[in-house]
Amino acid sequence: MDKIETIQEGYVTKVITHLNYLKQERLPTQWCPGCGNGIVLKLVCQAMEKLNFSQKDTVVVSGIGCSGRSAGFFDLDSVHSVHGRAIPVAEGIKNVNQALNVIIISGDGDLLGIGGNHLLHASRRNTNISIICIANSIYGMTGGQSSPTTEQGSRTLTAPEGNADTPIDAQAILKAHNSYYARTTVFHFNHADKCITESFKHEGLSFVEIRTQCITNDGRRRGFKNAYEMLMSYKDTFKINDNTDTLEHNEIGIIR
Amino acid sequence: MTKILLQGNQAIAQAAVKAGLGFYAGYPITPASEILHELVDKKTVKLLQMEDEIASINAIIGASLAGAKSMTATSGPGFSLMQESIGLAHMMEVPLVIVNVQRVGPSTGMPTLPAQGDVMQCKYGSHGDYFPIVFYPNSVDELYQYTFHAFNAAEESLSPVILLSDGYVGHLYETIETKEYEISKRTLPPLGTSNRHFTGLTHEGSLPATSDPEIHRKFIKHLEKKQKKVAKKYNGYEYIENASSDTLLIAYGALSRVSYHFKDDFAIYRPVRIFPMVEDIKEIAGQYKKIVVMEMNAGQYVNEVERMLHRKVHLISILGGKIDLQEIWTKLRRFRRDT
Ligand code: SF4
Repeated sequence: MDKIETIQEGYVTKVITHLNYLKQERLPTQWCPGCGNGIVLKLVCQAMEKLNFSQKDTVVVSGIGCSGRSAGFFDLDSVHSVHGRAIPVAEGIKNVNQALNVIIISGDGDLLGIGGNHLLHASRRNTNISIICIANSIYGMTGGQSSPTTEQGSRTLTAPEGNADTPIDAQAILKAHNSYYARTTVFHFNHADKCITESFKHEGLSFVEIRTQCITNDGRRRGFKNAYEMLMSYKDTFKINDNTDTLEHNEIGIIR
Repeated sequence: MTKILLQGNQAIAQAAVKAGLGFYAGYPITPASEILHELVDKKTVKLLQMEDEIASINAIIGASLAGAKSMTATSGPGFSLMQESIGLAHMMEVPLVIVNVQRVGPSTGMPTLPAQGDVMQCKYGSHGDYFPIVFYPNSVDELYQYTFHAFNAAEESLSPVILLSDGYVGHLYETIETKEYEISKRTLPPLGTSNRHFTGLTHEGSLPATSDPEIHRKFIKHLEKKQKKVAKKYNGYEYIENASSDTLLIAYGALSRVSYHFKDDFAIYRPVRIFPMVEDIKEIAGQYKKIVVMEMNAGQYVNEVERMLHRKVHLISILGGKIDLQEIWTKLRRFRRDT
């Protein structure tokens, strides 16, 4: 038994090297089985590996929420700031050390709700940071309240009859200031990989809105039987369109 | 040493640059804006005008972690907005200097008029337990000097240090001699050198979060011990003895300047490091029958003094931003020995 584990460990570190970006002793994550956050973590590691990012030149910053725990998994210097403030923290870091790759991973409630004002102005300043927004359309950690990206009509803890508000148009904010914006989903793995890798390469502010499932506090309430069903719903809902300067509601792609 | 005419706010900015300020983020607010203005175009300072004070404090937290001595300045309304992240900086142990040039509150209050209503906010403004070091100078010269101390204390304690001022001292012009002060070096290795995790969650070592009460208790104890130890290096206060008086008059900041007028009738104690309170006050106060705290609020520091001394302390409250010698004397004269 011991031997097999050693071999497996050797296999993990040798072949799937992108996992080296994570603190192995912290895995598996504490996220719910079927949560999409882990897929995003893997995608980010993969992109880091492709671009040869290292401990010496990369910092990950998070806010608060389920996805706010992301920073703590990285085997790099990382900052877990307060709710909504990952962007100004990251801007402070980048302005002091331009050589650092500064990556934010946080949720839609954190980045577009409580922290929305900072996105508005960071994109105006066009600070060279990459923001990976895990958009699961719900406040997962606090039990399933409506979030800034909750679809109209979607049932949540705070909108049992269906959410009345229009979801936020992150694309419009980023486009207005000529920043990089990409929308993708955790189902479209290769597309998401491209969106994130490109965002890391982009000079200036970049924002990737990655549609992700929260089975525990969103999917269940909306009638999904399991995380797989939620994941497959992205396949049916979203079409890739990389040749447009405005993504329709059901399209994913990159706008520069 | 050179003699120059400086405004209080300018003195803070110029001293900060000399103390090694590398990054400043701020949002305009009266009566603190001159600090921001003075730092524009300083070659050694990266300056960001942010969208609000919340962004400002968080930007300097990031900047400090990234390796730059960092500062922000504001007044009461902005200081209120910063409170959550002041707690974060204590939890993550980030050295910062935060200047608060007080004005009349609550809320928008009376901008430009001085007040001392943020004294308790300095100590208790953020949620949870922390033990901030707070300096409150009363002259341009002292603001200059204590800006250095604030930066040094921040580095030594790895915590946000608050430099308190008010609309009066901040806008005051005085001629000062700019001396060279000692400058503490950075001890915190910058981001991008390791695999540390800075978090606002209770944590220990590589454990990014815990609900173990023992770890939390240990951490709070550590904060308290560390802050007290560093504070001891900066035992700033002024004491004007008066053997013919049985009353000790305590005042700080703008009002302490007025208190000098009454030194023939009273002994005077002026704390500069207002938190943690300087222990010497116990011995000094022991020599007087009556203790009076005079402050520009409805009674804040008076409670702290009372708590420290375990005895009745009288209050003279000056509200509304107006400093009128006649009015103060009317309130004060009843404490004279011969009445
Ligand atoms: S509550 Fe939702 S977002 Fe949070 S870990 Fe569970 S599935 Fe993921």
